[in-house]
Amino acid sequence: MRRDAAAQMEADLACLDEVAAGADPVLRLYTWAGPALSLGRFQPDSDVDRDACRERGVEVVRRPTGGRALLHGGDLTYAVAMPRPAGEAGHVDALYRTIAGALIAGLAELGVTATIGSDRGAAGPACFATAQGADLRVGDRKVCGSAQVQRGAVVLQHGSVLLDRLPFDELDLLTGPEPDPARAHRDLRARSVTLRELGVAATREAVAAALAAGFASTLDLNLVSRVRNPS
Amino acid sequence: MNFPEELRYSSEHEWVRVEGNRAVVGITDYAQDALGDVVYVQLPDAGLEVIANASIAEIESTKSVSEVYVPVTGTVVEVNGSLEDAPEQLNTDPYGAGWIFVVELADPAQVDALMDAAAYQALLEE
Repeated sequence: MRRDAAAQMEADLACLDEVAAGADPVLRLYTWAGPALSLGRFQPDSDVDRDACRERGVEVVRRPTGGRALLHGGDLTYAVAMPRPAGEAGHVDALYRTIAGALIAGLAELGVTATIGSDRGAAGPACFATAQGADLRVGDRKVCGSAQVQRGAVVLQHGSVLLDRLPFDELDLLTGPEPDPARAHRDLRARSVTLRELGVAATREAVAAALAAGFASTLDLNLVSRVRNPS
Repeated sequence: MNFPEELRYSSEHEWVRVEGNRAVVGITDYAQDALGDVVYVQLPDAGLEVIANASIAEIESTKSVSEVYVPVTGTVVEVNGSLEDAPEQLNTDPYGAGWIFVVELADPAQVDALMDAAAYQALLEE
């Protein structure tokens, strides 16, 4: 089994460690070498159907951040590591709003009008089946899910902007007892939207550049950008 | 926001209540407010020997994971198992039912170096 997904999580955490040691804040933008399912830091292992993941060649990886399972491969992932602002700006929800502002600015460069999500959808093991204040949506469909880890004075937040769909979704890889699987797949699809479905024809490279521009124009940080495999 | 006078506080937003040579530890009202709704608490194991300022527990709230630092050196002798089923007690009663763990103090004088309520509030206002 490839270890690309694990390497991505290690690279994100390495950014956090660097910033904790005094380096400039870092923005990573990357795509995945193959399909991968990332689990939240404390998500139960029993949520995952390991056989289904193996059959589809999906690497399973645990994130250092919270939240629920997210399928990678059709997404562009951002990771930002930065000092945690003092006072209320360093609160969890305030940080989500700050970074959402950067993502919204980036998506606007692509002609996409995104807004900050509000809590909706039943709690379940799949990230994109629900929307929270940490997420971005277009209309009422989620286009970007994010998760965070705070370690003392530094924070790492990463998240996925949906570009395309894979031939399968999270529900094909999770064990959750679905009384009506066909409906669950339809609901997941109806609650999420990809940039392609929104008519964005930009390459992955162009999407990465737009997001980097959004971060640069909205965050007052000397961000070092690292882009990996965007095309 | 509430900061009881009888407690001591750390700069990482933990509180300590001394009971004999034991310290009960939790997170402050400010910390729970900053985290938002707590959905999971990863507790340390009883028996763990800890050094002040080490991260020994983690809290998940709104898809964010945050560390809890032990403010004193000693041995974890008790953990609040009720948080496994009811982590929201950190939000609803941070100084009571939301206590996280108890440390048997290696050096009770170490608590004196922590802040009192007034000093902690002054830190928050900086």
